[in-house]
Formats: sequence, structure tokens, C-alpha cells
Amino acid sequence: MSIMQYNGGSVIAMVGKDCVAIASDLRLGVQSLSISANYQKIFPITDRIYVGLPGLGTDVTTLHEQFRYRVNMYTIKEEREIEPQTFAQLVSSTLYERRFGPYFIEPVVAGMQKLPTGGFAPFIAATDLIGCLNFAKDFVVAGTASEKLFGVAEGLWEPDLEAEDLFETISQTLLNAVDRDAFSGWGAVVHVITKDKVVTRTLKGRMD
Amino acid sequence: MQVDISRLKAGEVNLGTSIMAVQFKDGVIVGADSRTTTGSYIANRVTDKLTHIHDRIYCCRSGSAADTQAIADMVHYQLQMYTQMSGGPPSVHVAASIFNSFCYENKDALSAGIIVGGWDKEVGPSVYNIPLGGGLFRQPWAIGGSGSTYVYGYCDATYRDGMSKEETVEFVKNTLALAMSRDGSSGGVIRMCVITEDGVERLFVPGNELPRFWEGEEVISGKKRVDTAEPMTVEA
Amino acid sequence: MASPSVYNGSGFDFSNVTRNSFLEGRGLPLPKATSTGTTIVGCVYRDGIVLGADTRATEGPIVADKNCEKIHYIADNIRCCGAGTAADTEFTTALIASNMEMHALSTGRKPRVVTAMTMLKQMLFRYQGHIGAALVLGGVDATGPQLFTIHPHGSTDKLPYVTMGSGSLAAMAVFESGWKPDMSREEALALVAAAISAGIFNDLGSGSNVDACVITATQTDFLRGFVKPNERVEKERRYVFKRGTTAWKKEEIKNLVVSETVVGHGEQMDVS
Repeated sequence: MSIMQYNGGSVIAMVGKDCVAIASDLRLGVQSLSISANYQKIFPITDRIYVGLPGLGTDVTTLHEQFRYRVNMYTIKEEREIEPQTFAQLVSSTLYERRFGPYFIEPVVAGMQKLPTGGFAPFIAATDLIGCLNFAKDFVVAGTASEKLFGVAEGLWEPDLEAEDLFETISQTLLNAVDRDAFSGWGAVVHVITKDKVVTRTLKGRMD
Repeated sequence: MQVDISRLKAGEVNLGTSIMAVQFKDGVIVGADSRTTTGSYIANRVTDKLTHIHDRIYCCRSGSAADTQAIADMVHYQLQMYTQMSGGPPSVHVAASIFNSFCYENKDALSAGIIVGGWDKEVGPSVYNIPLGGGLFRQPWAIGGSGSTYVYGYCDATYRDGMSKEETVEFVKNTLALAMSRDGSSGGVIRMCVITEDGVERLFVPGNELPRFWEGEEVISGKKRVDTAEPMTVEA
Repeated sequence: MASPSVYNGSGFDFSNVTRNSFLEGRGLPLPKATSTGTTIVGCVYRDGIVLGADTRATEGPIVADKNCEKIHYIADNIRCCGAGTAADTEFTTALIASNMEMHALSTGRKPRVVTAMTMLKQMLFRYQGHIGAALVLGGVDATGPQLFTIHPHGSTDKLPYVTMGSGSLAAMAVFESGWKPDMSREEALALVAAAISAGIFNDLGSGSNVDACVITATQTDFLRGFVKPNERVEKERRYVFKRGTTAWKKEEIKNLVVSETVVGHGEQMDVS
């Protein structure tokens, strides 16, 4: 077993029409023993940026604190909110700094990026555990169920889904993928971010 | 003297090499094959392993490509500084000594077998060998790299003191061709540099014009091999 | 803990190494980073350099990114293709690009390809192969077109046509049979596309599209998606779920637009 599978957990993010969604399971385990069914792995960074941190539990906490600290310092220095693209670079360089002694986390970033025109554009990104960024235009996945998530999402995702349809697609993708992963599951949470609101829903999932 | 492959890090680029330097009347001839390998793949088939160190000093590199390039770059830099500060070109011994100190002081981290050859006004032509452990030996001729093991006997039998330039070129060319034909990690073309007081002349022997030796009769003459030996007679 | 600045000091942080090697010692193997099992190539032609790359990034047997960029910016007249550990190629080239800009600013000259090559080889040699970046560096400077390969341990080669990555054998086979001196731009681009395609179709670590970059003395053209031999066909059917398919237990809506009504009170100022 790898360290990445020690606590279990998976995250996925998808792009829709003028919206993004990010979702994760709620399990925290120690190898095959489940400890919690309400372990949040997705954290708000700003109103319109969320980050998912699947991987080793101890590093979820440490990295979340690290990001909170660095984003606060950025906000104070720059006197403006951080944008998703910038935050993704921050995540990337934070991880690469530990190139030779990494955190066991593969972060997923989802948010709405402010445009010069005043509107918002959907943004998603994921990195590996040493900070190699992947800017996908459709979806990104990470965690113990990532292989299954890749397969299901590749089949279900389509461009320009409305917020409500995107919710169904990401929920079904996650739910069906984690059902085939022993280390993920025990409920799920989905955040759908649009330009003027964030809808957070806790899903009903298998509890085995 | 053998390049210990196990000392190379995994996936490292290797100069599994045949290199040579020979002193003659008016100067030094340095020569090398041109093969660079990563495992069984030839990463470069026309490598230049004869590296310029100073106006009249060259080195032949064998072992890790990264290590020997880094050392050659550092010695090149040191000799430029030396020239500026002392007001004249360095002797070959000075160059070889700098190579020697880098190779000796970092012997645990390096796999570099280097031959330094050149001409200076103090002693004329000279050749220095710096093998794997970081020793320093002045020799009239030196061979190195994985291919060298096959041709020590040939060199011992062929080398004579006071050869002419032409004779020495033939000696180097033949030695390297023999080493390249037997050693799988050596091959490609032969590159040579003739270093004399007057300057440096580069010589190039393409792969299809290498000196050829006995390769089996049918290859040399195109004739079918015929068994000419008399059948052994058994006395009744 | 982190330094008291968003703009961090440079260099690597090794503070997790002890913990991680302890975990490794307990029989939990360290996970693999994204590697670009790659085909990257470069070739000299009459007026400059053509660089090429595929666009697949892999994590073990999984395709992590189907359309990533492997041709990195170094300077206006210099580009660098990266193979090996994806994060390493990304950050190494970004660092050298930054240092090259500083160097160009302080010398007031157009940067040279050998300068970038020397910076890269010295950095990679310092890290003794632990930074897994295998690079193809090309550009045109005051000394003409220049093309190099740089291996992870810091050795360099200078050749008229080069390939690197897991698809390098397939690509080199194309170059060895098709390269000739003094090619035109069209011939060079076609050869590079053929070499990358050989990698895409014959090497499992390489795939998707061909990116190309043509650098001449006067301009640099980055041709993203130069050939797209693996376009996905449109789905025959839609797989959208009916709204309400997913059962949820709890909903929270956070409104980001705050509406407020301004209520006047007291005596209004006379503005007439």
C-alpha cells in the first residue's frame, strides 16, 4: 500500500457553462478501517475559489493551513483577492518547494476567474504531489479513485452543461466511481460555483 | 584500467570509450572514437571527446559524460584565470595537475578517466594520464576507456620513441580502429588532434574509411573460403 | 513553518524528508510523480531551428493530461522541450527563463543559446541527476542556429538533429532516414511532424497531438496543435442525467451578490 492510500479519499472538478463544480467523498480511514464519514477535503479559499486536498490526512491539515496563510499574506500585500490562476501557481510552487520531501497531496483547484471585461470564466486545475500543473478544459481528478473517476468522467462529461446539469453529472461521476473504490466513499459533498452564488450539497451515498 | 560501469548512476550518459594520446617528436596526437551511450542506445554517434582546454592543451574524456564535461569546463575556466594572472600560457603539467586535484578530491562522486595532452615551451610535448582513482602519471603514450583493454598489447608492440607525425597518426588511427572493432561501447568515427608548437590540426576518419584488419577471408577478398589444408593423414 | 512572506526565499525545503523516509521504512512506498513519457525533437534547417513535441502526460499507466505543453519559453529567440519528471522540466525551464531575462537585462544583449545551455547543465549537474529533466534546447542567436540536448545528469550534446524521451528511438529512426542538410522550412516542419508522429503511434508513453516551434533569426512561431491526428469524434448520444437524479441530504446556498437598500433619514440636504 502506498502512503497516498493510507487515509483514502478522492476529489473531482468539472467545467460547465459559466460555472464550475468540485466534489469529494467524505471518508477518512486508516488503511481499511473507516474512522469518519464527515471528513471535509474541500476548502474555500476565496468566495469563488475552492481547493480539494486528497491524500494523506496529516498533510491535508498542514497544507490547508499553509495555503490559508499564504493567501492571507497575498491579500494583504496585493490589496486584492487572489485569482484562481494565481492560486494554482501558488499551490504549484508550494509543493515544488518540497520536491525532495513532498507532501502526499494531489490538490485540485476550481474557481471562477475574473475577466478584464468584468465577467467570470470557469477555471479548474490539478497538480501532482510535487506541483506539476495540469490545466484541463474539461475535468480533473485526484485521489484513490482517480482511475475510476477518469473512466466515468470521460464517458459522462460534455461541454456547456448548465449549473444544475453539471451538478447531476459530477455527482453521478463521483458516486459511481467511489462505489468501486474501497478507500473512498461514505457520503459525498458537491460545490457548484457560479458568478453570483455557490451551491453546496451533501449527497446520499453508500455507507459501506 | 577499466571503466567501472556500476559506478555510473542509473540512466547516466556514458562515454564507454576508446581514447588515446601519444607523444612524438614535435608534439602530441590525441585521438578518440565518437560513441556516447545510454544503456544500449547510442545517444550520440559523432561525439567530440577531444576537448579544448587551452591553446595547446587538449583532453580526452572517458567515463560519465556529465562528470567529464563539468570537470573540463572547470579546468578550462581555471586555466583562463591562470593565463591572465601569470601573463603566459600554462604548461601541460599545470593543466593536468588541476584535472588531478578535481578528480582526486572528488573521487567518490566522480567517474572520470581523463588523458591530457599538449605542447608547452618548458618541456615540449607531454601526455598525462589521470585514471579513475585520481592519480597523475606522465607517459609517452596513454590509452583509456572501455576499449583500451583490447589494445594494450598492440600498443606495447607498436610504439617506438621518436616517431614522425605521419607514423604517429597511423599508430593512433590503427589502435583506435582495433579497439572500436572489439569494444561494443566504442565506435563511430575517429577524431584526432595534432598539437604542435605551430598550432592544432584536426583530423577526421569517417566510419566507412577506418583502417581494416583481418575480418575473415570472404570479407577482405570477396572470395569464398576454401579449405586448403591437407586432410590429416593417419598412419596405419 | 513558512517564512513570514508570500514571496518565499529560494531553494528546496527538505523538512519532510525525515518523515517521508520513516514512512518509506514502514513499508509504504513513495508515490510516483507525473512524468512526461515523451517524444521531443529538434532539427536544424536552412534558416533556423524547428522544435517538436507530443502532448501526452502520464502517471504510470494513466494518461494524466491529453494536451499538455512541452515546448517551454526560455527567451524570445530560444525555446526548450522537456521530457522526464514533468514538474522538474516545468520549474527548471521557468527558472532558467527568468535568469536569462535578468542576464539579458544586465548585459543589454540578446541572449545566446549557449548561455541557457550552460545555466541548465550546471544546475542539473549540481543536483546530480535528482532533478529528472531531459531537455532539447534550440534557438537562433548572434552566432546562428544552435541546437543542444541536455541529459538529467548535466551532460550536453550539440547535433544537427536530436530526439529525447521514451519515444526518442522511434523519432531518431525517422531523422536518420530523412534528415538532410539545408532543408527548407516546409521540409523541416514535415520531418519534425513525422518524427513526433512516429513517437505518438509507436511509443506508449507519447500520444495526442504534435506541437511545433519554428525559430529563425527574425521571429519565433509557436505552432500549438500543428498536427492533430487523434481528435475525439463527437459523442453519438448525450449522457445528461435528468435533473433530480441525485439524492441529496442538505443544501447550502451562499449568495455572492449582496443586495442593499439605502434608506434616507433625517433632513435632506438642499441641493437646489
